[in-house]
Amino acid sequence: MVAVRLARFDLRSYVAGGLLWAAFLVVPLLTGLVLKALFDQLSGHREATLDASLWLCAIFVAIEATRGAILWLALTVWPRWWNSVATTLRANALSSILTARGPAATRLPHSSGEAVSRFRDDVHDVAMLTDNAVDLFGAVIFGASAFVIMSTIDPVITLVLVLPLSVVLVLSRVLSDVIRRIHSRARQLGAAVTAFIGETFSGVLAIKTAGAEEAVLERLREHNRRRRQAAVKDRLAMDLLDTATGATVELSIGLVLLLAAPAMRRGDFTVGDLALFTSYIGWLTALPRIVGRMLYRVPQAAVATERLTRLMAEHESADHLSRRTGVWFDGDPPPVLEEIPARDDPLKVIEARGLTVRHGDSERGLEAADLRIERGSFTVVTGAVGAGKTTLVRAFLGLLPVESGTVSWNDERIDDPGTFLVPDRAAYAGQVPRLFSESLRENLLMGWPVDDPALDRALELAALEQDLAEMPEGLDTVVGPRGVRLSGGQVQRATAARALVRSPELLVVDDLSSALDVETEQLLWDRIADAAKDGRGPATLLVVSHRRAALERADQIVVLDRGRVVGTGSLPELLRTCTEMRRLWDEELVVEAEEQKTSASTH
Amino acid sequence: MTSPTDTRRTVVRLLWPGRRSAAALALAILITTVLPLLAPQLTRRFVDDAIAGESAGRLTVLAVGYLGLAVSGQIARMLAAWLASRLAWDGTNRLRESLAAHALGLDMGYHGKRTPGEMIERVDGDVVALADFVVAFLLDVVASLLLLVGVLIVVLAVDVRIGGALLAYCVLIGLFMVRAQRLAVPAATRVRERFAALFGNLEERLAGAEDIRANGAGPHVVRRFHQSSAEVYRADRHAERLGGGLFAGTTVAFAAGTALVLGLAAWTQQSGALSVGTAVLLFQYTQMVRTPFERIIDQIQQYQKALAAVTRIGGLFAERRTMPEPENPRPLPETGPLSLELAGVGFAYADDDERVLADVNLALAPSETLGLVGRTGSGKTTIARMVLRLYDPTEGVVRLGGVDTRDIDLAVLHRRVCVVTQDVQLFAASVRDNLTLFRPGLADDDRLRAVLTEVGLGGWLETLTDGLDTVLGAQGGGVSAGEGQLLAFARAFLTDPGLVVLDEASSRLDPATEQHIETAIGRLLTNRTAVLIAHRLSSLARVDQIAVIDDGRVVEYGPRETLAADPDSRFSRLLVAAGVRRESQVIP
Repeated sequence: MVAVRLARFDLRSYVAGGLLWAAFLVVPLLTGLVLKALFDQLSGHREATLDASLWLCAIFVAIEATRGAILWLALTVWPRWWNSVATTLRANALSSILTARGPAATRLPHSSGEAVSRFRDDVHDVAMLTDNAVDLFGAVIFGASAFVIMSTIDPVITLVLVLPLSVVLVLSRVLSDVIRRIHSRARQLGAAVTAFIGETFSGVLAIKTAGAEEAVLERLREHNRRRRQAAVKDRLAMDLLDTATGATVELSIGLVLLLAAPAMRRGDFTVGDLALFTSYIGWLTALPRIVGRMLYRVPQAAVATERLTRLMAEHESADHLSRRTGVWFDGDPPPVLEEIPARDDPLKVIEARGLTVRHGDSERGLEAADLRIERGSFTVVTGAVGAGKTTLVRAFLGLLPVESGTVSWNDERIDDPGTFLVPDRAAYAGQVPRLFSESLRENLLMGWPVDDPALDRALELAALEQDLAEMPEGLDTVVGPRGVRLSGGQVQRATAARALVRSPELLVVDDLSSALDVETEQLLWDRIADAAKDGRGPATLLVVSHRRAALERADQIVVLDRGRVVGTGSLPELLRTCTEMRRLWDEELVVEAEEQKTSASTH
Repeated sequence: MTSPTDTRRTVVRLLWPGRRSAAALALAILITTVLPLLAPQLTRRFVDDAIAGESAGRLTVLAVGYLGLAVSGQIARMLAAWLASRLAWDGTNRLRESLAAHALGLDMGYHGKRTPGEMIERVDGDVVALADFVVAFLLDVVASLLLLVGVLIVVLAVDVRIGGALLAYCVLIGLFMVRAQRLAVPAATRVRERFAALFGNLEERLAGAEDIRANGAGPHVVRRFHQSSAEVYRADRHAERLGGGLFAGTTVAFAAGTALVLGLAAWTQQSGALSVGTAVLLFQYTQMVRTPFERIIDQIQQYQKALAAVTRIGGLFAERRTMPEPENPRPLPETGPLSLELAGVGFAYADDDERVLADVNLALAPSETLGLVGRTGSGKTTIARMVLRLYDPTEGVVRLGGVDTRDIDLAVLHRRVCVVTQDVQLFAASVRDNLTLFRPGLADDDRLRAVLTEVGLGGWLETLTDGLDTVLGAQGGGVSAGEGQLLAFARAFLTDPGLVVLDEASSRLDPATEQHIETAIGRLLTNRTAVLIAHRLSSLARVDQIAVIDDGRVVEYGPRETLAADPDSRFSRLLVAAGVRRESQVIP
C-alpha cells in the first residue's frame, strides 16, 4: 500500500525513470539474438562471409551503447523521485511529531540518536521497496519475452527451465519470515550502537570530567560485539537466498546441456541456440534474484513502516505517513506564517480539572490536579523535587499524555491542548532550554512573523539585550550545538525571549531562573511584571519556581507534594493552612537566613 | 599534521584481521574464483564432442560435471561471504571503537561545535559505509579481479592474439575507471556532508520537540527541513549524473572489447585455426569478464562512498588535541586535598580573538574553598573548565598541588578533580551505570545505595521497579531535573577527589531538597579543596574566599568575611541586593 503511494509522490519521475530502468534491463534480449546469429555463422549452420560476422559485431556494440545511454538517462531522472520519497516520508513524520494533535513525548524513542536512525535507515528501507519494484517490472518483461523466444527454439527445454526458477520463488517465501526476524534484530542492535554513540557525545563533558572514557568504550565494545553477531547472521541469511537462486540458475544451464545433447548431435539444436540459451539464462539469473530480493524487501519495508508509523500521532496511520505533502527542490517552500493569526476568543480564564498523569508503571506522576488561572494573574507552581511541577505544566500544555482530566479555555473544553495552547494564546520556556545550531535570530523567531523592534522588545524583557550588545555579530551570531557557546543563563534567557517574542496571552515558564544570578533574576522579573501591567508583555503568567522572588509576587500559588495539589491560594493564606508550603518556606528561610546574617553584619 | 596516507594506513591497520584469518579468507576467495573458471572448459568439450557426434553417455558425463562445478562454486561463494562479513565487522568494529576513543579524547573546544547527531554520522555512519564496502570489496572486487586474471590467462593460452587484445582492452578500461573515479569522489563527499548536516539538524529538532510544539514553530521547522532536503537532492543529483555517466561509458567501452574478441574469433575461425567449441569457450569467458567488471563498476559508487568515508574518518583522526598529554607526567598526591593556583591566566577560543579570561590570579591552600561570583557569561564556568583541564590557558598557568596541569596525566587529574555541573548528563542506561558511568569496579551495590540515600534519593530508589537495574530514559527521561542533579551529586560522592568543583550544582534544587543535601555536601567538601560557582549567594555561606568575576577579570578577591564586612565591596553590595527586598517583605 505504502509502496504504491510512494510511486505517486513524483509520478512523472517514477514513470520516466522506471521505463528507462526497464528498457535497460530488456535490451539484453537483442544482444542474445545477435549472438545467436553470430554463432550460427561461426559454426557454419548458416552460410555467411567474414564481413557479415563483423557487421554483427558492430551491431552488438551499437546495442550496448544504447543500453549505456539509457542507463545514464535513468540515473539523471531517478534521484528526483528517490529524494522526493525520502523527503516526503521524513517531512510527514517530522510534521506529525511537531504539529499533529496529541502529545509527542511518548512517540519518540528513548534517544534522539535512535529517532535519527529511523529517519535515516527506515525511510531508506521503505523507499527501497518501491525502487526495487521497477527492477522487478523490467526483469519480468525480459523474462517473459526470453521464454517466448526460447520456446520457439525448443519448448521442452524451456518448460523444464521453469522448474528451478519456481523452486527459488518457493524457497524465498519460506525464508522470508526467518530473514525478517533476523533483520529486525540486526537493525535493533545497530540502532543501539547509534544511540549509545549519540549519548556518549551528548554526555561527553560528564564522561571526560569523570575520566570514564575507557569504561564508556568498553560498553561500546559490548554493543559492537552484539551488533556484529546479528549483522553477520543477517548477511548470511541474505546470501543463503542469493546462493540458492544462483545455484538454481547454474543448475538450469546444466539441464540445458543435458537435454540438448541428443538434439545437438542431430543438429536440431545449433551452437547459436546454445549461445542464446546460456546468454538468456545468465540474464534470467536476475529474475529469481530480483523476485527474491523483493520478497525480502517486503517484510523489511513492513518493519520499517511500522517503526516509522510509531512516530506518528495515535490517530494517524501509515496513510498519513505516506500522504503526498509536496517537496520543494527547485524553489523555496511557501512561507508558513505571514502574519499573526487573528483570534476572537481572548483569554478570560483557563482551567485544568483532574489532570492525572502516570509515568510508566512507577507511582510518580500527577494525581487529579486542578488549576485555574484568571487573566492578568501571576500563578506560581511550587513543590519539592519530584513533586510533579514540570509534569503539571507539561500536562497542562498537552505535551504529555494524560490519563484523565480536562483543560478549558474561557470555560469551553479544549479538545487538544497541545495544538490549541500555542502562540499567540500561550508560549512556553522549558526547564531544560533547547537552542538549535542556527543564528540567534532564527532561534528566537523560528518563523514567527515579527520585525526587529518587536524582537528587541522581547530581548529586553528577557534581560538579554546587554549580552547581545557584547556579541560582535549580534542577532546573527550562530549559536553552537544546543547553544553550548552561550552560558547557561544566556541560553535560558534566550528561550524566554523566544516565548516572549510571540506575545502570548499566557506565558508559561518552567524554572527559568535556575541559572540566573541575583541581579539578572530580579531584573527579569521586574521587567516581565511591569510589561504585564502596561500591556507590553504577556498579561497572564504561569511559573514553576521555588524562589521567594517569584513566590512573593504570586497572586496564586499551587503547592504540589508527590503528585498531588496540597494547597492553592496566596502566600499568606497558604502559610496559615498548608503544611507543605510552610515546610518549603521554612527551609527557604533557613537558607536565606545565612545570607541575611552576612548582609546584616555589613549594616 | 598527519598526512592522508598516514590516516589511510591507520584505517587499513585497524581493518587487518590477522594473518591466519586473512589466509583463510584468501583461500575461500581463491576457490570461489577457480571453480567457475573450470566450467567453460567442459562446455567447450561438450560442443566439440556434440558436433563430432560422440556418444550420449560422454555428453551426459560432461553435463553432470558442469553441474557439480557450478553448484560447489555457489556454495564456496557463500562461505567466503560469511567469512568476509565476519572479518569486515571485526575490523570495522575496531575502527569504530578507535574513532570513538579518539573523538572522546578531543577537547571540549571540538565537541562544543558539534552535535551528537553529527558525531553519530562520523563515528558510526562513515564506518558502516566502510563496512558495507569492505565486504563487497572482498567478494566482488577482489574475487572479480582474480576471475579476470584467470580468464585472461586461459584466453592467452587458447590464442595469444585474442588474449593480448583482451588484455590491452582490460588495461584501457581499468585506466579509464581509475581516472573517472577521481572525478566522482568529491561529489560523493558533498552528498555525505549534506546528509550529515541534515541529520545533525534533525537530531537537535527532535530533542527539542516540546519547545518547538509549545511555541508553535512546528510548521516552520518542517519548512526548514524541506530546504535542507533540497540541498541534499541537488548534491545527490550531481553525484548520480557523474556516477551514471561513468557507468555508461564503461559499459560501452566494454561492449566494444567483447565485439573485438568475437570479431577476432570469427576471423581466426574463418582460417580454420579455431574450433567452434573454442569460439563458444571464448564467448563464455568474455561473458565471465563482463560480470566481474560490472560488479567492480557497481562497487565504484560504493567505493566512492567508502573513500569519502575514509577521508572523513581520516579527518577525524587528524583532529589533534589542543591539549597534548604530558611527555613526562608528574605525579599528584594520591589522597588528601590539593592546592590550586591560577597565575596570570588568560584564555581565548582558538578561532576567536575575543578574550574570555584575562589575567586571572587565584590561590587556594589545600582544604580551602573559593566562591566564584559574577553575572552569567562573566567567565566563571570557563575558570572551572581550566581547573578541570577541559581547556588549557592561552596565557599563564594553572597549578594543582603545585604541578602545572599540563604536566599531569589526564586520567590522574580526572580521578583527583571532580565536578558537578548544572547540566546533568544522564544516559539511557541503568541507574547503576549512570552513577558509576559504566565503571563496574567503582563501587558495589551497597555503596551505591548508601550514596543515593546520602544525597536524599533513597525514597526515589525505592519507587523504582528494578532498583539499581532500572533503565533511565535518555537525557534524563523519567527523572526530574532536580533528581538528575542529585544523581550527579551522588556520582561525585563515589570517587575520592582532592578538589571539587560545583558549577551551579544546586541550581535546580528547591530549598527543601537543597537543605536536605547540605549536610551531604558539607561532608563532600570536608578536608577537600573546592571551587563553588553559585548565583545564589546563600550557597556560598561556607566558602573561605570570594572572587567576583566580571567580563573575564577578577574584579574583587579576598576572604569572604572581609568582603562581606566591607559595605563598599561588590560582594556585600550583591548581598544587599539579595537582602534588601527581604526587609520590605511581609513575614506573617
